[in-house]
Amino acid sequence: MEFLMPIWAFFQENILTKPQFFIGFIVFIGYLLLQRPIYEAVAGFIKAVVGYMILNVASGGLVGNFRPVLAGLKDRFDLSAAVIDPYFGQAAAQASIEHVGRSFSMMMVVLLIAFTINIVLVLFRRYTKIRTLFITGHVMVQQSSTALWLVIFCFPQLQDIGVVCMLGVLLGTYWSVASNLTVEPCQKLTEGGGFATGHQQMFGIWIVSKIAGKIGNKEKSLETLKLPGFLAIFNENVVATGILMFIFFGIIITILGPDLMHTIDKSFGAKQSFLFYIIEKSFNFAVYLTILQLGVRMFVAELTESFQGISNKILPGSMPAVDCAATYGFGHPNAVTFGFLFGALGQFLAIIGLIVFQSPILIISGFVPLFFDNATFAVFANRLGGIRAAAIIPFFSGMIQVLGGGFAAYFFTTGNFGGWHGNFDWDTIWPAIGVIMNYGQYVGVAAVILALLAIPQLLYRSNKDTYFLIAEDYDKYLEVVESKAAAQKN
Amino acid sequence: MLKVIAACGSGMGSSQIIKMKLEKVFKNLNIEASIYHTNVGDAKSQASNYDVVVCSESLIGTFQNSSAKNLIVIGLKNLLSEKEITEKVTEKILNAK
Repeated sequence: MEFLMPIWAFFQENILTKPQFFIGFIVFIGYLLLQRPIYEAVAGFIKAVVGYMILNVASGGLVGNFRPVLAGLKDRFDLSAAVIDPYFGQAAAQASIEHVGRSFSMMMVVLLIAFTINIVLVLFRRYTKIRTLFITGHVMVQQSSTALWLVIFCFPQLQDIGVVCMLGVLLGTYWSVASNLTVEPCQKLTEGGGFATGHQQMFGIWIVSKIAGKIGNKEKSLETLKLPGFLAIFNENVVATGILMFIFFGIIITILGPDLMHTIDKSFGAKQSFLFYIIEKSFNFAVYLTILQLGVRMFVAELTESFQGISNKILPGSMPAVDCAATYGFGHPNAVTFGFLFGALGQFLAIIGLIVFQSPILIISGFVPLFFDNATFAVFANRLGGIRAAAIIPFFSGMIQVLGGGFAAYFFTTGNFGGWHGNFDWDTIWPAIGVIMNYGQYVGVAAVILALLAIPQLLYRSNKDTYFLIAEDYDKYLEVVESKAAAQKN
Repeated sequence: MLKVIAACGSGMGSSQIIKMKLEKVFKNLNIEASIYHTNVGDAKSQASNYDVVVCSESLIGTFQNSSAKNLIVIGLKNLLSEKEITEKVTEKILNAK
Protein backbone atom coordinates (compact mmCIF):
# COMPACT_ATOMS: atom_id res chain seq x y z
CA MET A 1 0.00 0.00 0.00
CA GLU A 2 3.02 2.29 0.43
CA PHE A 3 3.14 3.22 -3.24
CA LEU A 4 -0.42 4.57 -3.07
CA MET A 5 0.50 7.33 -0.65
CA PRO A 6 2.22 9.67 -3.13
CA ILE A 7 -0.66 9.18 -5.57
CA TRP A 8 -3.15 10.12 -2.87
CA ALA A 9 -1.03 13.08 -1.81
CA PHE A 10 -0.88 14.27 -5.42
CA PHE A 11 -4.64 13.87 -5.77
CA GLN A 12 -5.28 15.72 -2.53
CA GLU A 13 -2.88 18.54 -3.28
CA ASN A 14 -3.96 19.19 -6.88
CA ILE A 15 -7.59 18.19 -7.15
CA LEU A 16 -9.36 17.63 -3.86
CA THR A 17 -8.36 20.96 -2.36
CA LYS A 18 -8.72 22.87 -5.64
CA PRO A 19 -12.46 23.37 -6.10
CA GLN A 20 -12.17 24.28 -9.78
CA PHE A 21 -10.57 20.96 -10.74
CA PHE A 22 -12.70 19.00 -8.34
CA ILE A 23 -15.89 20.37 -9.90
CA GLY A 24 -14.43 19.87 -13.36
CA PHE A 25 -13.75 16.21 -12.70
CA ILE A 26 -17.21 15.68 -11.24
CA VAL A 27 -18.74 17.09 -14.42
CA PHE A 28 -16.35 15.02 -16.55
CA ILE A 29 -17.23 11.78 -14.76
CA GLY A 30 -20.92 12.70 -14.83
CA TYR A 31 -20.82 13.05 -18.61
CA LEU A 32 -19.08 9.68 -18.97
CA LEU A 33 -21.69 8.05 -16.71
CA LEU A 34 -24.42 9.56 -18.89
CA GLN A 35 -22.64 7.90 -21.85
CA ARG A 36 -22.05 11.15 -23.66
CA PRO A 37 -19.16 11.26 -26.18
CA ILE A 38 -15.70 11.96 -24.74
CA TYR A 39 -15.32 15.29 -26.56
CA GLU A 40 -18.47 16.56 -24.86
CA ALA A 41 -17.10 15.43 -21.52
CA VAL A 42 -13.90 17.36 -22.19
CA ALA A 43 -15.89 20.44 -23.19
CA GLY A 44 -17.96 20.11 -20.02
CA PHE A 45 -14.77 19.79 -17.96
CA ILE A 46 -13.31 22.97 -19.46
CA LYS A 47 -16.53 24.96 -19.04
CA ALA A 48 -16.88 23.86 -15.43
CA VAL A 49 -13.26 24.67 -14.54
CA VAL A 50 -13.25 28.04 -16.33
CA GLY A 51 -16.69 28.88 -14.93
CA TYR A 52 -15.49 28.21 -11.42
CA MET A 53 -12.29 30.22 -11.94
CA ILE A 54 -14.38 33.17 -13.22
CA LEU A 55 -16.53 32.86 -10.12
CA ASN A 56 -13.41 32.94 -7.97
CA VAL A 57 -12.15 36.14 -9.56
CA ALA A 58 -15.53 37.77 -8.96
CA SER A 59 -15.92 36.56 -5.35
CA GLY A 60 -12.49 37.93 -4.52
CA GLY A 61 -13.37 41.16 -6.29
CA LEU A 62 -16.63 41.62 -4.40
CA VAL A 63 -15.04 41.05 -1.01
CA GLY A 64 -11.99 43.15 -1.95
CA ASN A 65 -14.06 46.07 -3.21
CA PHE A 66 -15.98 46.08 0.03
CA ARG A 67 -12.93 45.84 2.31
CA PRO A 68 -11.99 49.56 2.55
CA VAL A 69 -15.60 50.51 3.30
CA LEU A 70 -15.81 47.83 5.99
CA ALA A 71 -12.52 49.04 7.46
CA GLY A 72 -13.84 52.61 7.47
CA LEU A 73 -17.05 51.63 9.25
CA LYS A 74 -15.09 49.64 11.81
CA ASP A 75 -12.65 52.49 12.34
CA ARG A 76 -15.18 55.28 12.72
CA PHE A 77 -18.29 53.66 14.18
CA ASP A 78 -17.13 50.20 15.31
CA LEU A 79 -19.72 48.73 12.91
CA SER A 80 -19.58 45.75 10.60
CA ALA A 81 -21.76 45.60 7.50
CA ALA A 82 -23.27 43.08 5.12
CA VAL A 83 -25.06 43.19 1.79
CA ILE A 84 -27.98 40.76 2.04
CA ASP A 85 -27.80 38.99 -1.31
CA PRO A 86 -27.08 35.33 -2.13
CA TYR A 87 -24.10 36.21 -4.33
CA PHE A 88 -22.53 38.43 -1.67
CA GLY A 89 -23.46 35.73 0.84
CA GLN A 90 -21.75 33.06 -1.20
CA ALA A 91 -18.62 35.20 -1.55
CA ALA A 92 -18.60 35.97 2.18
CA ALA A 93 -19.17 32.28 3.06
CA GLN A 94 -16.29 31.24 0.80
CA ALA A 95 -14.03 33.90 2.35
CA SER A 96 -15.04 32.77 5.87
CA ILE A 97 -14.40 29.11 5.06
CA GLU A 98 -11.00 29.79 3.52
CA HIS A 99 -10.13 32.19 6.34
CA VAL A 100 -10.28 29.33 8.86
CA GLY A 101 -8.19 27.20 6.52
CA ARG A 102 -10.83 24.80 5.21
CA SER A 103 -11.39 23.80 1.58
CA PHE A 104 -14.31 25.24 -0.35
CA SER A 105 -14.38 22.06 -2.49
CA MET A 106 -16.63 20.56 0.16
CA MET A 107 -19.43 22.79 -1.18
CA MET A 108 -19.71 20.64 -4.29
CA VAL A 109 -19.71 17.36 -2.33
CA VAL A 110 -22.42 18.73 -0.04
CA LEU A 111 -24.50 19.65 -3.09
CA LEU A 112 -24.23 16.18 -4.57
CA ILE A 113 -25.04 14.40 -1.30
CA ALA A 114 -27.99 16.70 -0.65
CA PHE A 115 -29.35 16.14 -4.16
CA THR A 116 -28.99 12.38 -3.69
CA ILE A 117 -30.88 12.58 -0.39
CA ASN A 118 -33.67 14.46 -2.18
CA ILE A 119 -33.87 11.70 -4.83
CA VAL A 120 -34.02 9.01 -2.17
CA LEU A 121 -36.77 10.83 -0.27
CA VAL A 122 -38.81 11.13 -3.49
CA LEU A 123 -38.25 7.47 -4.40
CA PHE A 124 -39.65 6.45 -1.02
CA ARG A 125 -42.49 8.97 -1.21
CA ARG A 126 -45.04 6.46 0.00
CA TYR A 127 -43.35 6.74 3.39
CA THR A 128 -41.67 10.16 3.28
CA LYS A 129 -44.56 12.02 1.55
CA ILE A 130 -42.04 14.05 -0.47
CA ARG A 131 -43.34 14.90 -3.95
CA THR A 132 -40.70 17.33 -5.27
CA LEU A 133 -37.16 17.25 -6.62
CA PHE A 134 -35.11 20.45 -6.23
CA ILE A 135 -33.29 21.16 -9.50
CA THR A 136 -32.41 24.89 -9.42
CA GLY A 137 -28.63 24.56 -9.86
CA HIS A 138 -27.42 28.07 -9.05
CA VAL A 139 -29.53 28.22 -5.89
CA MET A 140 -28.16 24.84 -4.81
CA VAL A 141 -24.61 26.21 -5.18
CA GLN A 142 -25.42 29.32 -3.13
CA GLN A 143 -27.19 27.42 -0.39
CA SER A 144 -24.50 24.75 -0.17
CA SER A 145 -21.92 27.51 0.30
CA THR A 146 -23.74 29.36 3.06
CA ALA A 147 -24.85 26.21 4.87
CA LEU A 148 -21.29 24.84 4.67
CA TRP A 149 -20.03 27.87 6.56
CA LEU A 150 -22.81 27.47 9.16
CA VAL A 151 -21.71 23.90 9.88
CA ILE A 152 -18.01 24.76 9.99
CA PHE A 153 -18.88 27.67 12.31
CA CYS A 154 -20.86 25.43 14.68
CA PHE A 155 -18.57 22.36 14.46
CA PRO A 156 -15.02 23.72 14.01
CA GLN A 157 -13.47 20.42 15.10
CA LEU A 158 -15.44 18.18 12.76
CA GLN A 159 -13.43 16.50 9.98
CA ASP A 160 -14.27 17.21 6.34
CA ILE A 161 -15.99 13.87 5.79
CA GLY A 162 -18.24 14.42 8.80
CA VAL A 163 -19.07 17.95 7.70
CA VAL A 164 -20.17 16.98 4.20
CA CYS A 165 -22.18 13.94 5.29
CA MET A 166 -24.05 15.71 8.06
CA LEU A 167 -24.73 18.83 6.04
CA GLY A 168 -25.65 16.82 2.95
CA VAL A 169 -28.41 15.08 4.88
CA LEU A 170 -29.60 18.30 6.52
CA LEU A 171 -29.63 20.37 3.34
CA GLY A 172 -31.16 17.57 1.26
CA THR A 173 -33.94 17.25 3.80
CA TYR A 174 -34.54 21.02 3.67
CA TRP A 175 -34.67 21.01 -0.14
CA SER A 176 -37.17 18.15 -0.16
CA VAL A 177 -39.41 19.32 2.65
CA ALA A 178 -39.48 23.02 1.78
CA SER A 179 -40.09 22.58 -1.96
CA ASN A 180 -42.76 20.00 -1.12
CA LEU A 181 -44.56 22.72 0.89
CA THR A 182 -44.99 24.80 -2.27
CA VAL A 183 -46.86 22.11 -4.23
CA GLU A 184 -50.34 23.27 -3.20
CA PRO A 185 -49.72 27.04 -3.55
CA CYS A 186 -47.99 26.59 -6.94
CA GLN A 187 -50.52 24.17 -8.41
CA LYS A 188 -53.39 26.45 -7.38
CA LEU A 189 -51.68 29.58 -8.71
CA THR A 190 -50.77 27.97 -12.04
CA GLU A 191 -53.94 25.87 -12.28
CA GLY A 192 -51.98 22.67 -12.63
CA GLY A 193 -48.80 24.08 -14.17
CA GLY A 194 -46.94 20.99 -13.03
CA PHE A 195 -44.07 22.53 -11.10
CA ALA A 196 -43.22 23.56 -7.55
CA THR A 197 -40.82 26.24 -6.37
CA GLY A 198 -37.24 25.26 -5.56
CA HIS A 199 -35.68 28.53 -4.54
CA GLN A 200 -34.85 30.59 -1.46
CA GLN A 201 -38.24 31.54 0.00
CA MET A 202 -40.18 28.26 0.04
CA PHE A 203 -41.30 28.49 3.67
CA GLY A 204 -42.23 32.07 2.89
CA ILE A 205 -44.47 31.02 -0.01
CA TRP A 206 -46.22 28.53 2.24
CA ILE A 207 -46.82 31.18 4.91
CA VAL A 208 -48.09 33.64 2.29
CA SER A 209 -50.52 31.03 0.96
CA LYS A 210 -51.89 30.62 4.49
CA ILE A 211 -52.26 34.28 5.48
CA ALA A 212 -52.85 36.22 2.23
CA GLY A 213 -56.56 35.38 2.03
CA LYS A 214 -57.07 36.63 5.57
CA ILE A 215 -55.22 39.92 5.03
CA GLY A 216 -57.00 41.16 1.96
CA ASN A 217 -59.78 40.61 -0.53
CA LYS A 218 -58.88 38.87 -3.76
CA GLU A 219 -61.59 40.70 -5.69
CA LYS A 220 -59.65 43.94 -5.24
CA SER A 221 -56.57 42.91 -7.18
CA LEU A 222 -53.89 45.20 -8.51
CA GLU A 223 -54.46 44.52 -12.20
CA THR A 224 -56.30 47.83 -12.58
CA LEU A 225 -53.42 49.85 -11.17
CA LYS A 226 -51.25 51.99 -13.44
CA LEU A 227 -47.62 52.00 -12.32
CA PRO A 228 -45.12 54.60 -13.55
CA GLY A 229 -43.14 53.46 -16.58
CA PHE A 230 -39.67 54.31 -15.26
CA LEU A 231 -39.86 51.33 -12.89
CA ALA A 232 -39.15 49.11 -15.90
CA ILE A 233 -35.45 49.94 -15.64
CA PHE A 234 -35.31 47.77 -12.53
CA ASN A 235 -35.93 44.77 -14.78
CA GLU A 236 -32.28 44.96 -15.73
CA ASN A 237 -29.97 43.44 -13.20
CA VAL A 238 -26.98 45.66 -13.82
CA VAL A 239 -29.04 48.85 -13.69
CA ALA A 240 -30.86 47.81 -10.51
CA THR A 241 -27.64 46.78 -8.74
CA GLY A 242 -25.89 49.95 -9.87
CA ILE A 243 -28.67 52.16 -8.52
CA LEU A 244 -29.04 50.27 -5.22
CA MET A 245 -25.32 50.22 -4.54
CA PHE A 246 -24.95 53.89 -5.50
CA ILE A 247 -27.64 54.88 -3.02
CA PHE A 248 -26.25 52.81 -0.15
CA PHE A 249 -22.53 53.24 -0.70
CA GLY A 250 -23.07 56.86 -1.68
CA ILE A 251 -24.54 57.55 1.74
CA ILE A 252 -22.03 55.41 3.66
CA ILE A 253 -18.92 56.71 1.92
CA THR A 254 -20.13 60.33 2.15
CA ILE A 255 -20.57 59.91 5.90
CA LEU A 256 -17.11 58.34 6.22
CA GLY A 257 -15.76 61.34 4.33
CA PRO A 258 -13.02 61.78 1.69
CA ASP A 259 -10.16 62.14 4.19
CA LEU A 260 -10.72 58.76 5.82
CA MET A 261 -11.28 57.07 2.44
CA HIS A 262 -8.00 58.49 1.16
CA THR A 263 -6.09 56.90 4.02
CA ILE A 264 -7.73 53.45 3.81
CA ASP A 265 -8.37 53.00 0.09
CA LYS A 266 -5.32 53.15 -2.17
CA SER A 267 -7.54 53.04 -5.27
CA PHE A 268 -8.89 56.53 -4.45
CA GLY A 269 -6.62 58.74 -6.58
CA ALA A 270 -5.30 61.94 -5.01
CA LYS A 271 -6.86 64.13 -7.71
CA GLN A 272 -10.02 62.08 -8.27
CA SER A 273 -13.37 63.75 -7.57
CA PHE A 274 -15.11 62.32 -4.51
CA LEU A 275 -18.38 61.91 -6.41
CA PHE A 276 -16.80 59.93 -9.22
CA TYR A 277 -14.88 57.82 -6.73
CA ILE A 278 -18.22 56.88 -5.14
CA ILE A 279 -19.78 56.11 -8.51
CA GLU A 280 -16.82 53.95 -9.50
CA LYS A 281 -16.87 52.14 -6.17
CA SER A 282 -20.62 51.44 -6.36
CA PHE A 283 -20.60 50.34 -9.97
CA ASN A 284 -17.70 48.01 -9.23
CA PHE A 285 -20.21 45.85 -7.36
CA ALA A 286 -22.33 45.60 -10.50
CA VAL A 287 -19.16 44.62 -12.39
CA TYR A 288 -18.24 41.80 -10.02
CA LEU A 289 -21.85 40.60 -9.73
CA THR A 290 -22.09 40.35 -13.51
CA ILE A 291 -18.82 38.40 -13.66
CA LEU A 292 -19.92 36.17 -10.79
CA GLN A 293 -23.19 35.36 -12.53
CA LEU A 294 -21.36 34.61 -15.76
CA GLY A 295 -19.16 32.10 -13.91
CA VAL A 296 -22.06 30.49 -12.06
CA ARG A 297 -24.11 30.29 -15.26
CA MET A 298 -21.23 28.53 -16.98
CA PHE A 299 -20.69 25.69 -14.55
CA VAL A 300 -24.26 25.42 -13.31
CA ALA A 301 -25.70 25.02 -16.82
CA GLU A 302 -24.01 21.62 -17.00
CA LEU A 303 -25.37 20.68 -13.60
CA THR A 304 -28.98 21.75 -14.12
CA GLU A 305 -29.21 19.96 -17.42
CA SER A 306 -28.24 16.62 -15.89
CA PHE A 307 -30.53 17.21 -12.88
CA GLN A 308 -33.44 17.86 -15.21
CA GLY A 309 -32.58 14.65 -17.07
CA ILE A 310 -32.59 12.68 -13.84
CA SER A 311 -35.87 14.24 -12.76
CA ASN A 312 -37.53 13.24 -16.06
CA LYS A 313 -36.05 9.79 -16.19
CA ILE A 314 -36.25 8.17 -12.80
CA LEU A 315 -38.96 10.09 -11.05
CA PRO A 316 -42.26 10.03 -12.94
CA GLY A 317 -45.13 11.24 -10.77
CA SER A 318 -42.93 13.68 -8.90
CA MET A 319 -42.71 17.39 -9.60
CA PRO A 320 -39.63 19.42 -10.46
CA ALA A 321 -39.01 22.33 -8.07
CA VAL A 322 -37.71 25.24 -10.13
CA ASP A 323 -36.77 28.93 -9.99
CA CYS A 324 -39.36 31.20 -8.36
CA ALA A 325 -39.48 33.39 -11.48
CA ALA A 326 -41.38 30.59 -13.22
CA THR A 327 -44.46 31.75 -11.30
CA TYR A 328 -44.30 35.33 -12.62
CA GLY A 329 -46.12 34.49 -15.83
CA PHE A 330 -49.14 33.58 -13.71
CA GLY A 331 -49.30 36.90 -11.92
CA HIS A 332 -49.89 40.33 -13.38
CA PRO A 333 -46.64 42.20 -14.18
CA ASN A 334 -47.84 44.81 -11.68
CA ALA A 335 -47.61 42.24 -8.90
CA VAL A 336 -43.90 41.75 -9.52
CA THR A 337 -43.16 45.49 -9.42
CA PHE A 338 -45.47 46.00 -6.46
CA GLY A 339 -43.69 43.35 -4.40
CA PHE A 340 -40.33 44.90 -5.19
CA LEU A 341 -41.49 48.39 -4.17
CA PHE A 342 -43.12 47.42 -0.90
CA GLY A 343 -40.28 45.05 -0.06
CA ALA A 344 -37.86 47.95 -0.59
CA LEU A 345 -39.97 50.17 1.65
CA GLY A 346 -39.92 47.55 4.40
CA GLN A 347 -36.17 46.99 4.03
CA PHE A 348 -35.32 50.69 4.11
CA LEU A 349 -37.43 51.30 7.21
CA ALA A 350 -35.84 48.34 8.98
CA ILE A 351 -32.36 49.58 8.04
CA ILE A 352 -33.17 53.01 9.50
CA GLY A 353 -34.37 51.13 12.58
CA LEU A 354 -31.01 49.30 12.84
CA ILE A 355 -29.17 52.63 12.77
CA VAL A 356 -31.49 54.33 15.26
CA PHE A 357 -31.21 51.47 17.73
CA GLN A 358 -27.42 51.32 17.27
CA SER A 359 -27.19 47.78 15.99
CA PRO A 360 -23.59 46.49 15.81
CA ILE A 361 -24.14 45.61 12.15
CA LEU A 362 -25.32 47.65 9.22
CA ILE A 363 -27.38 45.96 6.49
CA ILE A 364 -27.28 46.97 2.85
CA SER A 365 -30.10 45.89 0.54
CA GLY A 366 -29.13 43.40 -2.14
CA PHE A 367 -31.09 43.10 -5.34
CA VAL A 368 -31.91 39.38 -5.37
CA PRO A 369 -33.85 39.10 -2.09
CA LEU A 370 -35.40 42.52 -2.57
CA PHE A 371 -36.72 41.65 -5.99
CA PHE A 372 -37.14 37.89 -6.31
CA ASP A 373 -38.48 37.07 -2.83
CA ASN A 374 -40.89 39.96 -2.58
CA ALA A 375 -42.06 39.77 -6.19
CA THR A 376 -42.84 36.09 -5.67
CA PHE A 377 -44.74 36.81 -2.46
CA ALA A 378 -46.71 39.56 -4.21
CA VAL A 379 -47.71 37.22 -7.06
CA PHE A 380 -49.13 34.68 -4.60
CA ALA A 381 -50.56 37.34 -2.29
CA ASN A 382 -52.35 39.21 -5.08
CA ARG A 383 -54.04 36.02 -6.26
CA LEU A 384 -55.29 35.14 -2.78
CA GLY A 385 -55.71 38.48 -1.06
CA GLY A 386 -55.63 41.18 -3.72
CA ILE A 387 -53.86 44.50 -3.61
CA ARG A 388 -53.89 44.80 0.19
CA ALA A 389 -52.12 41.50 0.75
CA ALA A 390 -49.70 42.22 -2.13
CA ALA A 391 -48.62 45.41 -0.35
CA ILE A 392 -48.61 44.34 3.30
CA ILE A 393 -46.88 40.97 2.93
CA PRO A 394 -43.82 42.15 0.92
CA PHE A 395 -43.52 45.13 3.28
CA PHE A 396 -43.17 42.90 6.33
CA SER A 397 -41.07 40.43 4.40
CA GLY A 398 -38.65 43.29 3.67
CA MET A 399 -38.38 44.10 7.37
CA ILE A 400 -37.85 40.45 8.26
CA GLN A 401 -35.13 40.15 5.59
CA VAL A 402 -33.16 43.00 7.15
CA LEU A 403 -33.63 42.01 10.79
CA GLY A 404 -33.07 38.26 10.24
CA GLY A 405 -30.20 38.88 7.85
CA GLY A 406 -28.63 41.34 10.27
CA PHE A 407 -28.81 38.85 13.08
CA ALA A 408 -27.33 36.09 10.93
CA ALA A 409 -24.48 38.18 9.50
CA TYR A 410 -23.59 39.24 13.05
CA PHE A 411 -24.02 35.89 14.83
CA PHE A 412 -22.31 33.79 12.13
CA THR A 413 -19.65 36.52 11.54
CA THR A 414 -20.01 36.69 7.73
CA GLY A 415 -20.38 40.44 8.34
CA ASN A 416 -16.56 40.43 8.56
CA PHE A 417 -16.54 39.72 4.83
CA GLY A 418 -19.47 41.96 3.98
CA GLY A 419 -22.26 39.58 3.06
CA TRP A 420 -25.10 37.32 4.06
CA HIS A 421 -27.37 35.10 1.98
CA GLY A 422 -30.36 37.37 2.67
CA ASN A 423 -33.25 35.52 1.00
CA PHE A 424 -36.36 34.95 3.09
CA ASP A 425 -35.76 31.36 4.28
CA TRP A 426 -32.16 32.31 5.05
CA ASP A 427 -33.30 35.19 7.27
CA THR A 428 -35.79 33.08 9.18
CA ILE A 429 -35.56 29.30 9.32
CA TRP A 430 -31.83 28.94 8.55
CA PRO A 431 -30.51 31.33 11.22
CA ALA A 432 -32.77 29.40 13.61
CA ILE A 433 -31.29 26.09 12.42
CA GLY A 434 -27.81 27.59 12.82
CA VAL A 435 -28.46 28.69 16.39
CA ILE A 436 -29.91 25.26 17.25
CA MET A 437 -26.81 23.61 15.72
CA ASN A 438 -24.51 25.94 17.60
CA TYR A 439 -25.98 25.27 21.05
CA GLY A 440 -27.56 21.85 20.54
CA GLN A 441 -24.64 20.37 18.56
CA TYR A 442 -25.38 16.86 17.20
CA VAL A 443 -28.60 16.55 19.15
CA GLY A 444 -29.71 19.84 17.65
CA VAL A 445 -28.96 18.70 14.10
CA ALA A 446 -30.86 15.46 14.62
CA ALA A 447 -33.81 17.36 16.11
CA VAL A 448 -33.90 19.75 13.14
CA ILE A 449 -33.85 16.90 10.60
CA LEU A 450 -36.61 15.02 12.41
CA ALA A 451 -38.73 18.16 12.76
CA LEU A 452 -38.34 18.88 9.04
CA LEU A 453 -39.28 15.32 8.11
CA ALA A 454 -42.42 15.55 10.27
CA ILE A 455 -43.77 18.48 8.20
CA PRO A 456 -44.83 16.48 5.09
CA GLN A 457 -46.35 13.84 7.38
CA LEU A 458 -48.57 16.45 9.03
CA LEU A 459 -49.45 17.89 5.63
CA TYR A 460 -50.41 14.42 4.40
CA ARG A 461 -52.62 13.74 7.39
CA SER A 462 -54.69 16.86 6.82
CA ASN A 463 -55.83 15.70 3.35
CA LYS A 464 -54.95 12.09 2.68
CA ASP A 465 -57.04 11.46 -0.43
CA THR A 466 -55.87 14.40 -2.52
CA TYR A 467 -52.30 14.76 -1.27
CA PHE A 468 -50.60 12.95 -4.15
CA LEU A 469 -53.39 13.64 -6.64
CA ILE A 470 -52.79 17.40 -6.69
CA ALA A 471 -49.24 16.79 -7.90
CA GLU A 472 -50.05 14.00 -10.33
CA ASP A 473 -53.32 15.02 -11.98
CA TYR A 474 -54.68 18.47 -11.24
CA ASP A 475 -57.93 18.14 -13.21
CA LYS A 476 -58.84 14.99 -11.36
CA TYR A 477 -57.94 16.73 -8.12
CA LEU A 478 -60.45 19.51 -8.90
CA GLU A 479 -63.15 16.92 -9.63
CA VAL A 480 -62.57 15.20 -6.30
CA VAL A 481 -62.62 18.51 -4.41
CA GLU A 482 -65.84 19.56 -6.14
CA SER A 483 -67.64 16.29 -5.51
CA LYS A 484 -66.55 16.50 -1.88
CA ALA A 485 -67.96 20.01 -1.57
CA ALA A 486 -71.21 18.88 -3.17
CA ALA A 487 -71.47 15.94 -0.79
CA GLN A 488 -71.02 18.25 2.14
CA LYS A 489 -73.84 20.51 0.97
CA ASN A 490 -76.35 17.66 0.86
CA MET B 1 -30.34 27.62 -38.73
CA LEU B 2 -32.50 29.59 -36.34
CA LYS B 3 -30.74 31.61 -33.62
CA VAL B 4 -32.77 31.70 -30.45
CA ILE B 5 -32.17 33.36 -27.09
CA ALA B 6 -34.09 32.46 -23.93
CA ALA B 7 -34.18 35.26 -21.37
CA CYS B 8 -35.24 35.78 -17.76
CA GLY B 9 -34.65 38.30 -14.98
CA SER B 10 -31.20 37.20 -13.88
CA GLY B 11 -30.37 34.79 -16.69
CA MET B 12 -29.77 31.92 -14.28
CA GLY B 13 -32.75 29.68 -13.57
CA SER B 14 -35.85 30.27 -15.64
CA SER B 15 -34.06 31.01 -18.90
CA GLN B 16 -32.22 27.72 -18.67
CA ILE B 17 -35.50 25.89 -18.11
CA ILE B 18 -36.95 27.61 -21.19
CA LYS B 19 -33.85 26.66 -23.15
CA MET B 20 -34.12 22.97 -22.24
CA LYS B 21 -37.82 22.86 -23.07
CA LEU B 22 -37.18 24.65 -26.38
CA GLU B 23 -34.53 22.13 -27.34
CA LYS B 24 -37.06 19.36 -26.86
CA VAL B 25 -39.87 21.12 -28.75
CA PHE B 26 -37.62 22.09 -31.66
CA LYS B 27 -36.44 18.52 -31.94
CA ASN B 28 -40.03 17.28 -32.09
CA LEU B 29 -40.93 19.88 -34.72
CA ASN B 30 -37.74 19.25 -36.70
CA ILE B 31 -36.54 22.83 -36.44
CA GLU B 32 -32.81 23.31 -36.50
CA ALA B 33 -31.75 25.93 -34.01
CA SER B 34 -28.96 27.00 -31.72
CA ILE B 35 -30.32 28.16 -28.39
CA TYR B 36 -28.62 30.33 -25.76
CA HIS B 37 -29.80 31.71 -22.45
CA THR B 38 -29.10 34.96 -20.62
CA ASN B 39 -30.76 37.82 -18.68
CA VAL B 40 -33.22 40.25 -20.29
CA GLY B 41 -30.84 43.20 -20.24
CA ASP B 42 -28.27 41.23 -22.19
CA ALA B 43 -30.88 39.78 -24.53
CA LYS B 44 -32.19 43.25 -25.32
CA SER B 45 -28.82 44.64 -26.26
CA GLN B 46 -27.92 41.59 -28.34
CA ALA B 47 -31.36 41.14 -29.88
CA SER B 48 -30.19 42.03 -33.39
CA ASN B 49 -27.96 38.92 -33.38
CA TYR B 50 -30.91 36.61 -32.92
CA ASP B 51 -34.03 35.59 -34.81
CA VAL B 52 -36.20 34.71 -31.84
CA VAL B 53 -36.44 35.78 -28.18
CA VAL B 54 -38.36 33.59 -25.75
CA CYS B 55 -39.15 34.80 -22.24
CA SER B 56 -41.87 34.98 -19.61
CA GLU B 57 -44.99 36.92 -20.65
CA SER B 58 -44.27 39.40 -17.88
CA LEU B 59 -41.02 40.43 -19.57
CA ILE B 60 -42.06 40.88 -23.22
CA GLY B 61 -42.42 44.63 -22.60
CA THR B 62 -38.61 44.81 -22.57
CA PHE B 63 -38.47 43.96 -26.27
CA GLN B 64 -41.29 46.20 -27.46
CA ASN B 65 -39.07 49.05 -28.58
CA SER B 66 -36.25 46.80 -29.71
CA SER B 67 -34.38 48.16 -32.71
CA ALA B 68 -33.92 44.63 -34.07
CA LYS B 69 -36.10 44.24 -37.12
CA ASN B 70 -38.02 41.02 -37.75
CA LEU B 71 -37.26 39.81 -34.24
CA ILE B 72 -39.84 37.27 -33.17
CA VAL B 73 -40.75 37.68 -29.49
CA ILE B 74 -42.50 34.78 -27.78
CA GLY B 75 -43.95 35.34 -24.31
CA LEU B 76 -44.72 32.27 -22.20
CA LYS B 77 -47.17 31.88 -19.36
CA ASN B 78 -45.99 28.46 -18.19
CA LEU B 79 -42.26 28.12 -18.86
CA LEU B 80 -42.42 24.38 -18.31
CA SER B 81 -45.34 23.56 -20.55
CA GLU B 82 -44.16 21.84 -23.72
CA LYS B 83 -47.72 22.11 -25.02
CA GLU B 84 -47.80 25.89 -24.75
CA ILE B 85 -44.31 26.22 -26.24
CA THR B 86 -45.20 23.93 -29.15
CA GLU B 87 -48.36 25.94 -29.88
CA LYS B 88 -46.60 29.28 -29.79
CA VAL B 89 -43.58 28.11 -31.77
CA THR B 90 -45.90 26.66 -34.43
CA GLU B 91 -47.93 29.84 -34.60
CA LYS B 92 -45.11 32.38 -34.57
CA ILE B 93 -42.28 30.55 -36.34
CA LEU B 94 -43.63 27.76 -38.55
CA ASN B 95 -46.81 29.49 -39.75
CA ALA B 96 -45.08 32.84 -40.22
CA LYS B 97 -42.70 31.45 -42.81
